Amino acid sequence: MIEFEHVTKVYETQNDENVALEDVNLHIDDGEFVFVLGHSGAGKSTFLKLILLEEKCTEGTVIINGQDLTKLKRRKIPYIRRQMGVVFQDFRLIPTMTAYENVAFAMRVTNIPTRQIKKRVPYVLGLVGLGDKMDRLPDELSGGEQQRVALARALAHSPKLIIADEPTGNIDPEMSFEMMELLSAINSVGITVVVVTHEHELVHRFNKRVVTIDHGHIVSDTAHPEVAAAYQAAGGVLPNEFDYAQ
Amino acid sequence: MRFSSFTYLVRQGLHSMRANRLMTFASMGVLTVCMVLIGLAYLLGVNVDAIVEYIGEQNESIVYLEDGLSEEQIADIDAQIRATPGVVSVTYVSPEDVLATYSGMLDEYANMYEAFENDNPFSANYRVVIQDISQLEQISDQLGQIEGVATVSAPLELSHAFTSIQKVVSYGSYGLVAVLAIVSIVVINNTIRITVFARRKEIGIMKLVGATNGFIRFPFFVEGTTSGLISAAIASGIVCGAYYALCQWYAENPSNFSQMFGGQLVPLSSVWYYIVVGFVVLGFVLCGIGTATSIRKHLNV
Repeated sequence: MIEFEHVTKVYETQNDENVALEDVNLHIDDGEFVFVLGHSGAGKSTFLKLILLEEKCTEGTVIINGQDLTKLKRRKIPYIRRQMGVVFQDFRLIPTMTAYENVAFAMRVTNIPTRQIKKRVPYVLGLVGLGDKMDRLPDELSGGEQQRVALARALAHSPKLIIADEPTGNIDPEMSFEMMELLSAINSVGITVVVVTHEHELVHRFNKRVVTIDHGHIVSDTAHPEVAAAYQAAGGVLPNEFDYAQ
Repeated sequence: MRFSSFTYLVRQGLHSMRANRLMTFASMGVLTVCMVLIGLAYLLGVNVDAIVEYIGEQNESIVYLEDGLSEEQIADIDAQIRATPGVVSVTYVSPEDVLATYSGMLDEYANMYEAFENDNPFSANYRVVIQDISQLEQISDQLGQIEGVATVSAPLELSHAFTSIQKVVSYGSYGLVAVLAIVSIVVINNTIRITVFARRKEIGIMKLVGATNGFIRFPFFVEGTTSGLISAAIASGIVCGAYYALCQWYAENPSNFSQMFGGQLVPLSSVWYYIVVGFVVLGFVLCGIGTATSIRKHLNV
């Protein structure tokens, strides 16, 4: 599903170079549920941007769904984005549109016929438990509900990959637990889920694969203990506030 | 693109015009004014052309022949004049014809007329009308070169004056059209830029859910070109209406001055479609360029 091979990303400013990711190798299979854990500034956002095609990597290859993103033509980008659904930390809903319209909008602008939209939108909103709040504006919904609208929007295209960026950042702990349950349910029907977060407590509650990023390197991967060992052998120090025992 | 998507995007564009009605109104106002000015420049140019052509037709050049030419020589000269490119009509006037035109005036000097009849002092000449008055000088030089031609009398000063007016008017019109076109593009560019800015959040979401650039651009094109077409319609109405009224007034109030230039303006019936089609094309093209240049930057997400 997602493959990073020797990926390096360097942001070049006028008189400075900022290495965000350095020689990152990662393989995520179809149907996996993976946490990507790291402090702010560790390289998580860059990791996300590379997957979402907002940035191109400086070196290496990023392959998603068998498509090499580094060799992709610009006009093909929208079609790759339709294969994945993203839930952002700030939800990114349009405030002047109702929950229904927000989901329908995402389908409209990707050329989906009206009949299909009318069927699909109530279905996905029902899936996330908002069947009775479709006509509410985002402001009339709680943070957790807004996030679920964003999740419904991400699910609307029946993507094979769902990416959640800090899903617990803007909502209370109870809600975030519900959100994670929802993501697990989505994962159980075979959709790959990648959750990017800095909260190791959240990660700890679920027994899933955890990939830790620090200073632009993958320093630990619970599915591959050799990664952490190699990092430490090379003189790297694991960030000690994270719990690696799983 | 599906039909349902198409109608959705058109509705989005029109909706955005309503939402930014003040800005839409302002930009359509500026566009309309620009188009009206372009229309006036065009009509001025058309009328100056018509007047110059009229003057050209009214002013014959006279080619005087040398005396004592044989009929063969005259026939040869006749053929040469007619073969000169740019010559529209040629009329031969024999010495007898000249005398005949003066005969009425010479009634009181009958004896003089009789004397002239026996010994005609006038020389044969040709009345030559040329097509393009700006070529008058060159053509009269050419006619003067023909063997057997004594002199060529052409209204050179008049032709110089009019061709230079024609040049000033047409260059002035081109310049005006160019400046106004740039103004229109900037105005539309600005309006769409404001709309794009107001909707940058939506554009960002559209990009992330996988909308193609064409889909994102389309409503803005609808907005820009609709403004352009509405402005074109208003400007056509203003220019055609005002010109029609001017033509009526001109015909009802003849003056010496107007008679000098043929007594009438170019009728609206022969120019209105150029104005309407020109405005529509101009509105469409200028607004298209204005829109395209304003949203390109925002599509690089």
